[in-house]
Amino acid sequence: MRRTLFLILVVATSVSSACRKAEVTIAEQKMAAQKLSSREITFYFETPALLLGHESRAIPLPGDDSAALAVVVRELLKGPQNPALARPFPPDAVLRAAYLLPEGNAIVDLGGPTLINGWQTGSNQEMISIYSIVQTLTANFTTVKRVHLLVNGQVSETLAGHIDISHPLYPMAQLVAKP
Amino acid sequence: MAKRTNVVFLTAVAVAFATYVWAQGSSAARLKFPGGEQTITIAQQGGQPLFPVDRVLASVGGRVEKVPEGFKAVVGGLDVAFAADSRYAVVRDKMIEMPQPPMIVEGRPFAPLQFFSGFLRLAAGLDAVWDQATGVLELKPVPVETLEVQPSVVDVQNLTKIVLQLSGPTEYTIVREAGTLVVRLVSPIRVPVPEQKYDSAYVSGMTFGPKEVRIELKTAQVAADSYKLENPFRIVLDLRQAAAPVPVLPQTTITPRRRNAPGIHTIVIDPGHGGKEVGAVGPGGLFEKDVTLAICRKLAARLESTLHTRVVLTRESDEVVPLDQRTALANQYQADLFLSVHLNSSVIKGAKGSETYFLSADASDELARHAADRENSGQGRQGNSELNLILWDLAQQSYLNESSRLAQVVQEEMNQATGVLSRGVKQAPFKVLVGATMPAALVEVGFISNPDEEKKLTDGAFQDTLVAALTKGIARYKSEYEVRIGVAPPAAPPAAADRQEQAPSPSLPASVLPTRAAADRPGV
Repeated sequence: MRRTLFLILVVATSVSSACRKAEVTIAEQKMAAQKLSSREITFYFETPALLLGHESRAIPLPGDDSAALAVVVRELLKGPQNPALARPFPPDAVLRAAYLLPEGNAIVDLGGPTLINGWQTGSNQEMISIYSIVQTLTANFTTVKRVHLLVNGQVSETLAGHIDISHPLYPMAQLVAKP
Repeated sequence: MAKRTNVVFLTAVAVAFATYVWAQGSSAARLKFPGGEQTITIAQQGGQPLFPVDRVLASVGGRVEKVPEGFKAVVGGLDVAFAADSRYAVVRDKMIEMPQPPMIVEGRPFAPLQFFSGFLRLAAGLDAVWDQATGVLELKPVPVETLEVQPSVVDVQNLTKIVLQLSGPTEYTIVREAGTLVVRLVSPIRVPVPEQKYDSAYVSGMTFGPKEVRIELKTAQVAADSYKLENPFRIVLDLRQAAAPVPVLPQTTITPRRRNAPGIHTIVIDPGHGGKEVGAVGPGGLFEKDVTLAICRKLAARLESTLHTRVVLTRESDEVVPLDQRTALANQYQADLFLSVHLNSSVIKGAKGSETYFLSADASDELARHAADRENSGQGRQGNSELNLILWDLAQQSYLNESSRLAQVVQEEMNQATGVLSRGVKQAPFKVLVGATMPAALVEVGFISNPDEEKKLTDGAFQDTLVAALTKGIARYKSEYEVRIGVAPPAAPPAAADRQEQAPSPSLPASVLPTRAAADRPGV
């Protein structure tokens, strides 16, 4: 009996020390991710010719790309400062989370009532919204090769019934307005 | 003491094993089948149980084999084809829809319950019922219900419409025998009267057997379409004058699917959105789904009358039709051309014009990659023509060039006829074009977000102009394509729609009854 108690004690001690070690690692990672520095980011919005036009602004970003993605997408969702450009997203669209997976797949999880309940719009607005995110992330982060959009944490067929977002998307150069 | 240590060790092993099983998302279940029961391992994905296809089908004498395109299973001489990336399994000319595609675990397919209930009902008259609480999957005979039948025959314009209303759904086939159409039912019927006389244009009477309805024709020169309607369940046959004398084929089984001769014979037109998926909404409150349906109905009628082709609409009413089902229907009916019709919308004020899309190479590459992965993981090559139906992805690659050409001519004709600004031909990964095994394009006929274009799009005369332009584009593509593949002479005149109108009909042999796809689905 005493030996069993001893065994339990040993297991409990080693588990708690492992947890402490994990906590330290997570804390270290959090600190690295939260270390902010100002960086100029090029954001892509819709032009009057229904293409993607850009504007740049400097924003404070975490050093770690994976952590910076969410900040950039949230900034993008705020819309352009240049009045000649338009914000294509539904007014209530929000970013739930963004991650960077190995091999350059960025996962961007969108939410908000319109996207979750079914966005009623045409293919142009849907396409520009999708590729505004894809273009902005791939243009600013060399580590991002493709972007996989999720809706409310789930893989979705489309945002509004047209463009296939069930797998990661590459940027579409033909959608970007020529300078 | 050593005994206690063993107990601790064994408990730890058991916990580790349970954790492993949990992590794998698999668990044990009981399989009950006629004549026995056994334990099976089931998998879980997205909260849905997935059952091992090999074990479940083996219990009723079936088997599964890996083929290059996916898997083939056989029960009672009936094949089903399915693949790990498709929510549709194919049995003859029917598709079984599953809530999610089958999952492959260590080379073995695991499929949702709907796969088994759909397939075994057809193959063995068995229903598959899953009880989550007790963890029992039971395969039990489908109770055979005797159905009431109410026949009616009416002449409408140039056709005779026969409606067999039944008190419940049943599988059926329609067979043509000399001077008679025989509707063979799987479920027995209560015979209303042995014989009923009619004096309609093409029908002289009907006789009823325990499992069949025989429709006596007045003349052999009758062509017929058949389809079914749900709620209540009805089998409908539309009889019309055949273009040429009908060769009487003894015991010809009539199926809705046929292998097309080269050329464009079947066109699928897809009205965008539907039901609660209203599509884009105009500033005046116009719904995209309503305009696309109106245009597509007109387009289908015009194509049928001018090109003499078979035209199938992916929806004929205001209903939700999933995107993959639209393309799957076109594939199932072996369509030679697919055109999806949409209205555009933008946040940019003054956005206007029409554009035509075909699938982007990226999306096509993605499909080819999946196909290549499957090929590489296959266990050797085995030919199986049945499986061609689900080879959507691989085939798409070869249709890209034709899709590009189709998009080009449709856009040119639309631009010329309507005077709407042409925004050109483009490529994008449209979900509804993914996996179409035929030239496929999507037209955005105008911007509903633009008040001027919204107004135009509701105008019947503008819709007619648009429909004439789309018809002309399709006619031009059809004649150019048929010259390219050598089924029409190169000296063919310009393919104006009105010229096509005078051309001899290349329509179906009268011995084949086409089934209208949209009406074939439940709830239509």
